[in-house]
Amino acid sequence: MLSSLRSGVQGLWRVSSRALQTTTNLQHDSLFVHRDTPEDNPSIPFEFTPENNKRVEALLAIYPEGHKRAAMIPLLDLAQRQNGGWLPISAMHKVAEILKLPRMRVYEVATFYTMFIRRPIGKYHVQVCTTTPCWLRGSDAVLNAIKEATGCEVGGNSPCGKFSLSEVECLGACVNAPMVQVNDDYYEDLTVDDTKEIIEKLKRDEKPKPGPRSGRYASEPLGGLTSLTEEPTGPGFGLQDALKA
Amino acid sequence: MSLGKYLALDKLSNFFNIIKQNGGIRASLYKMYRQDELKDGVLVGEDKFGNKYYENPRYFYGSNRWVEYSDKYNMDYDGSQVPAEWFGWLHYKTDLPPHMDPSRPKYKWMIEFTENMSGTTGQYTPYSTTRPKVEPWIPKRKSNA
Amino acid sequence: MLRQPLTRALALSSPARAAPLAVRRYAEIAPQPDKVEVFIDDKPVYVPPGTTVLQAAAQVGVEIPRFCYHERLAVAGNCRMCLVEVEKSPKPVAACAMPVMKGMRVKTNSDLTRKAREGVMEFLLVNHPLDCPICDQGGECDLQDQSMAFGSDKSRFTDIHFSGKRAVEDKDVGPLIKTIMTRCIHCTRCIRFASEVAGVDDLGTTGRGTDMQVGTYVEKMFLSELSGNIIDLCPVGALTSKPYSFAARPWETRRIDSVDVLDPLGSNIVVSTRTNEVLRILPRTNEEINEEWLSDKSRFACDGLKRQRLVTPLMADSRGNLTPVDWEDAVVAAARALRDCPPDKLLAVAGDMADAESLVALKDLLNRLGSENACTEQYFPLEGAGIDLRSTYLLNTGIANVEDADFVLLIGTNVRFEAPLLNTRIRKAFIHKDTDVALIGPKVDLTYDYVHVGESASIVKDLASGTSAHEVLRKLEQAKRPVVILGADQLKTQEGAALLAYTQELALRLQDKLEDKNWKVLNVLQRTASQVAALDIGYKPGVGALLSAGPQVVYLLGADSGVVTRESLPKDAVVIYQGHHGDAGAAIADVVLPGAAYTEKRATYVNAEGRAQQTLPAVTPPGQAREDWKIIRAISEVVGVRLPYDNLDEVRDRLSQISPALVTYGDVQNNNYFAQARALAQSLQKPVSGNLDVKLKTLEDYFMTDAISRASPTMAKCVQAVLKQKQSTY
Repeated sequence: MLSSLRSGVQGLWRVSSRALQTTTNLQHDSLFVHRDTPEDNPSIPFEFTPENNKRVEALLAIYPEGHKRAAMIPLLDLAQRQNGGWLPISAMHKVAEILKLPRMRVYEVATFYTMFIRRPIGKYHVQVCTTTPCWLRGSDAVLNAIKEATGCEVGGNSPCGKFSLSEVECLGACVNAPMVQVNDDYYEDLTVDDTKEIIEKLKRDEKPKPGPRSGRYASEPLGGLTSLTEEPTGPGFGLQDALKA
Repeated sequence: MSLGKYLALDKLSNFFNIIKQNGGIRASLYKMYRQDELKDGVLVGEDKFGNKYYENPRYFYGSNRWVEYSDKYNMDYDGSQVPAEWFGWLHYKTDLPPHMDPSRPKYKWMIEFTENMSGTTGQYTPYSTTRPKVEPWIPKRKSNA
Repeated sequence: MLRQPLTRALALSSPARAAPLAVRRYAEIAPQPDKVEVFIDDKPVYVPPGTTVLQAAAQVGVEIPRFCYHERLAVAGNCRMCLVEVEKSPKPVAACAMPVMKGMRVKTNSDLTRKAREGVMEFLLVNHPLDCPICDQGGECDLQDQSMAFGSDKSRFTDIHFSGKRAVEDKDVGPLIKTIMTRCIHCTRCIRFASEVAGVDDLGTTGRGTDMQVGTYVEKMFLSELSGNIIDLCPVGALTSKPYSFAARPWETRRIDSVDVLDPLGSNIVVSTRTNEVLRILPRTNEEINEEWLSDKSRFACDGLKRQRLVTPLMADSRGNLTPVDWEDAVVAAARALRDCPPDKLLAVAGDMADAESLVALKDLLNRLGSENACTEQYFPLEGAGIDLRSTYLLNTGIANVEDADFVLLIGTNVRFEAPLLNTRIRKAFIHKDTDVALIGPKVDLTYDYVHVGESASIVKDLASGTSAHEVLRKLEQAKRPVVILGADQLKTQEGAALLAYTQELALRLQDKLEDKNWKVLNVLQRTASQVAALDIGYKPGVGALLSAGPQVVYLLGADSGVVTRESLPKDAVVIYQGHHGDAGAAIADVVLPGAAYTEKRATYVNAEGRAQQTLPAVTPPGQAREDWKIIRAISEVVGVRLPYDNLDEVRDRLSQISPALVTYGDVQNNNYFAQARALAQSLQKPVSGNLDVKLKTLEDYFMTDAISRASPTMAKCVQAVLKQKQSTY
């Protein structure tokens, strides 16, 4: 009520005079500076687990001496997976230490790539594609269903802490639109009911079967083939007679 | 014209009159020394600082009203010690001295008259609000001093 | 010359800085003598292959606009301002990153080029705030200048209601640099400077696209002794000077070329003044000394010139309190004390920032009074060649030549804080020429990797005698251009003479074997700006023996480092202090004569490599302060031993009589007589056992080392900020 009044007043004012100051639109849902929080600060230690330490060694071995910094992205990814899907600052420090690089060089990489998530997120990171093909096929309904089922807002965590919801741009599964990505798995050809079922299963920590929900195996046409239906022709098809042996 | 006046004996009597009114030869000499003049006149009034105001119409206009500053000022008297209410009478703006003038306004907010303190230790000195460009070193005082 | 191998720079300043000594991956490419012909605006120019279009254009006097390109930093090529048209190239090319090719025809003023520049400028200005009127860079802003020269005459920016301009939050990088990050145009010069020159990899870009920002990501101070240079490098007003913020516009200031005296290198500076007040100090390019950098102390300690100054002569009253007096009284009192003192009880001590003119005047005065007791605060061994041969106390290699060295051995010196710009030279050699560095002394952070040989002085002895088993000896002997730098602080101890003798032995043994007969190996890094001139003039180094003889009159010429204290003097000794700051010296004085600081007089200083340079007066001395040599000249008149010079030229004549090197401004005399010094030092090679220690170990020690920087509020803030940063986990 009050807010609508305020926006109405602002709208009038906006028309009548030039706005001297506007706040810039948020271009991105994460910050590009670090703020110490109780969940994420450099005094929280981070160590790779023994299994992951072996992986670290294997990753480093891929790259030649003098170019070990190339292992930065794999190492950061390893750290993110170990830490439950997000990358704390201590993990970046650990990676810098392993690679003998200044910390800043690791911060640069970790902030550049959007798949490194630098804030605590839930166990299941649900990424809903809302780019045009998915949107045309009803991604808004899917998104609303997820919001309802998990209680997440876009860019936030669910109250139970188990889910995080993000709206993302094209994930390259347009043929199977609409789709969501949960951690590493794609769920495609979704309906609202499918979505609810997936979320319910995840709530019980069961793993829903990834892939299309429409009964398709992959991205083949839904109602059977519409082209290339006949037997492939043999060699020499359409060759003029003179050339036939 | 009387003979006395013709022989300028009235000047003589004025002379003795002045000396008498000013309290004898010693006091007259002191007043001469202090004020550079000696006059006789009617004491019109005295202000709260102890300055006495005299009038004698025998003198010419312009010098027939005068002030004798209070003895407490000694030789350090000056014009600004005449309070504002007497200033008008002394300069012929009015013929009514303040204590005889009922129409003078008196308000609570009128402040006490003060003399001009320029040239004395009590003078007003404005201070600079700009920082000095160079802050000098202040030596430490010796502790035993 | 393009994209130099900076792998070493990248690997540095990590928390664990322990890379192996010599991983050489890039062999030096032999220079190819043949040149290629290119045409810049149809003017032919011959340049070596590998030159960039921008450099080639500079050779024919065509300046191509640029923001990110800087000749002392690696090429980034990200601002696109230097786009030029190249014939037969479909798109404009970035001149700063494009190597020339044979027969290339570059058009720097064609329609395409101009349009490209205009477009780039428009994109830069889309996200640049229009706050030039309140921006400290205004008037010296590259973006301002270039948008006037190459930008469009109108704006198409109408986005203010929709998404507005990009806004970035400001960073806190310490008390010296003010950041207004919204103004940043992402040229990354500061990042490259921090990474390549300063060796403190704290700056970088975070985020991507329109959200990209330059900063430290975490709350962290830019912990470098060279941080002020990123203010000069920043082409816009994103990084400006905090102490100078909102102080003046560049066109209001007068600029006077001068010389810095806060470290022994004598960096060339420009003093910006307005209404008789030093506002800021900027570096002046001198390829042989400071290139175009300046250390933070030299740059920001100038506000110390306005605090704690001696502005009037002072004399102790009957209670011993210093009270202001007239010049006449003070000079007469000083002269009386000097006259009534037996010559052998007279002592003069010259301090950190004494200029050659006042040094020679004071020494002449003392000599005329029959005394030889003129000395400096800093000790130097007098045994052997002592100070008779100039080469024993100078930085003989030369600051610029250190770049060409292939092995640097540092003995008991933290070059990073004792002479920051010498350290940048070593770092430059380390990065670009794969020079190796070894250090004998306490382990300190030099911003590059080095071999820590140990802390014991006996290592020098082993190296000198060739008996050391350490790999450093082998490397030294194999080096074609080795450099040995000995910190002058090590010579103060009992073993100083022996240490110097061993260092000479080591350096000259190496030098004798070199193919390059002009290469000098031996270097002694003095700690103060006055020491070399004082030793040239014939001051005795160190006050020790003279002080214990119990002098009656002590004349302190700016001696503030605390070697002369009241406790070390007889009770009735008279102390005359002449100088510009109320510090350790003035506090113990009976008579204080206010002198001029280095920005207030025309004076000669000789830097650590023996290069005489002169300062020029930028402002007048404050209050009743006077030029130093004139004060001494006035006293001499009252004492009755009139010094025979009445103006600066005559003083300089006297200087040139003592040593012509003192008045050949800007030049370094070729030093020699190494062999003689070595022979004289041979007898001093006694066993040494002590450990080498340096005074300035970490950054907080660096900022306040002399009377001017101790009086500077900015330097005090720096120390506080560094200590606070040390508490932080980043």
